[in-house]
Amino acid sequence: MKKSIILIALLALCIGVKAQKTDTAKKEPSADSLMNSLSADDDKHEHILSAFKATRLIFSPTTEMVRKKNLNFLVIHRFGDIATGPGGARTLFGLDAVNDVYIGFEYGVSDNFNINFGRSTIGQLVELQLKYALLHQTNDDSSPLGIALMGGTGVRPYGNFGSFGDRLSYIAQAVFSRKFTQAFSLEVSPVFVSDNQPIPNEPGNENSFFSLTAAGRLKVTKHMSILVDWEHPFSNYRTSANGFQDPLGFGAEFETGGHVFTLNFTNARAISQINSLSNSQASWGRGEYRFGFTISRMFDFNRKKEKKW
Amino acid sequence: MKYLSMLLLAWLTAFQAGQDIYICKNAKINMYSSAPIEDIEANSAGAVSVYKASTGELSFSLPIRSLHFEKSLMEEHFNENYMESDKYPKASFKGKIQSPPDVSKDGTYPVNVTGELEVHGIKQTRTIKGEIKVNGGVISMTSEFIVKCADHKIDIPQIVFHHIAENIRIRVAATYAPYKN
Repeated sequence: MKKSIILIALLALCIGVKAQKTDTAKKEPSADSLMNSLSADDDKHEHILSAFKATRLIFSPTTEMVRKKNLNFLVIHRFGDIATGPGGARTLFGLDAVNDVYIGFEYGVSDNFNINFGRSTIGQLVELQLKYALLHQTNDDSSPLGIALMGGTGVRPYGNFGSFGDRLSYIAQAVFSRKFTQAFSLEVSPVFVSDNQPIPNEPGNENSFFSLTAAGRLKVTKHMSILVDWEHPFSNYRTSANGFQDPLGFGAEFETGGHVFTLNFTNARAISQINSLSNSQASWGRGEYRFGFTISRMFDFNRKKEKKW
Repeated sequence: MKYLSMLLLAWLTAFQAGQDIYICKNAKINMYSSAPIEDIEANSAGAVSVYKASTGELSFSLPIRSLHFEKSLMEEHFNENYMESDKYPKASFKGKIQSPPDVSKDGTYPVNVTGELEVHGIKQTRTIKGEIKVNGGVISMTSEFIVKCADHKIDIPQIVFHHIAENIRIRVAATYAPYKN
């Protein structure tokens, strides 16, 4: 008796299972809709590609990082005034006079952490910076912004200073970027600069001040973009009445894969932000603007991966 | 007890007979381009595929961003300049195997698949050779074919450092599991 009950129960179960099976067979999704549901969310939360093409625009750093085991080598030039006394045709519009040269290296310790090292002509400023990518913009806007944090210190090894401490400057900033469309990206960055000895070292000048920078990139072709970069120090001393000017630059950026070239015109003579934010007195209105360029070359030290195939 | 085992057997067969759709969520794609300066190779294990054994319907979908290159810069250029993966995030294939093999029998079956290959937003009707292997009830497929950049309007810019070749070799390997609701 017990056995037959078990048998009947099992039979019922089998029929049940079979009925369910035919049921689902009827409802079984077509290969198409199954395909759609399987591949539906495989592109969610993907980090967007390059809000900017380089780690630097004209003055400002971007949220772009040097990838792991990559080394970015930078050569940046600012030439002499184009349209003032020492400029003009005699100096080939400033090309004979080099105002500032920056040679720098940026190394990707990881995809999100970089160490930057560089040296400027102005002040013989040697800088070491750490950069961390806090957030990446994603294609579904689960993260609408890219955020990078940077902190650095600079030392001026030459010149007369009261103490070694006076040779040091510090810079800290957060860069917020957004790629609005395929062609248009914008970034805003609050910056804090602290010079142990004010630059320029004049009575009344502040050691520390906040600044704001804003920059944009408009892609014109696949390999060429137009850049605008602007900086404003919030300082009681660095006013136009005291002869200071906000750095403002316009540029064109060309990327050829491995290299990024930026050709620009700026009023600021200095390349390093410690210098350009602390002391920019050149004025567009007075013809004190100059040609400049950035050459950025990326080296990849990733070993050839073993073929998985 | 004899009945029980018979019933179980019957049930098992019924279940087997009901299986028709097979899926693979981690199909491997290998892309290889032989170029004068350097060979460029990328791999993905992120393609999905669905195979309907009764009709031979076969489809693949590959998220372009899942293709990873040796060099991160290459990967960036591939996505930005060649594939424009923001605009066309996927490459896909949808087709039918001509005279699909009986997958309930172990064996190796050379097949031809005819269907539409969509790369860079451009569809091309292709007949692609491949091989289906059934081993202990497990279905796997492999294929190798060439994609011409020009067929899919993939521009090769003149000034770019990492040139890719006109013809790209694609290799596909997928191991399928029965689809369960």
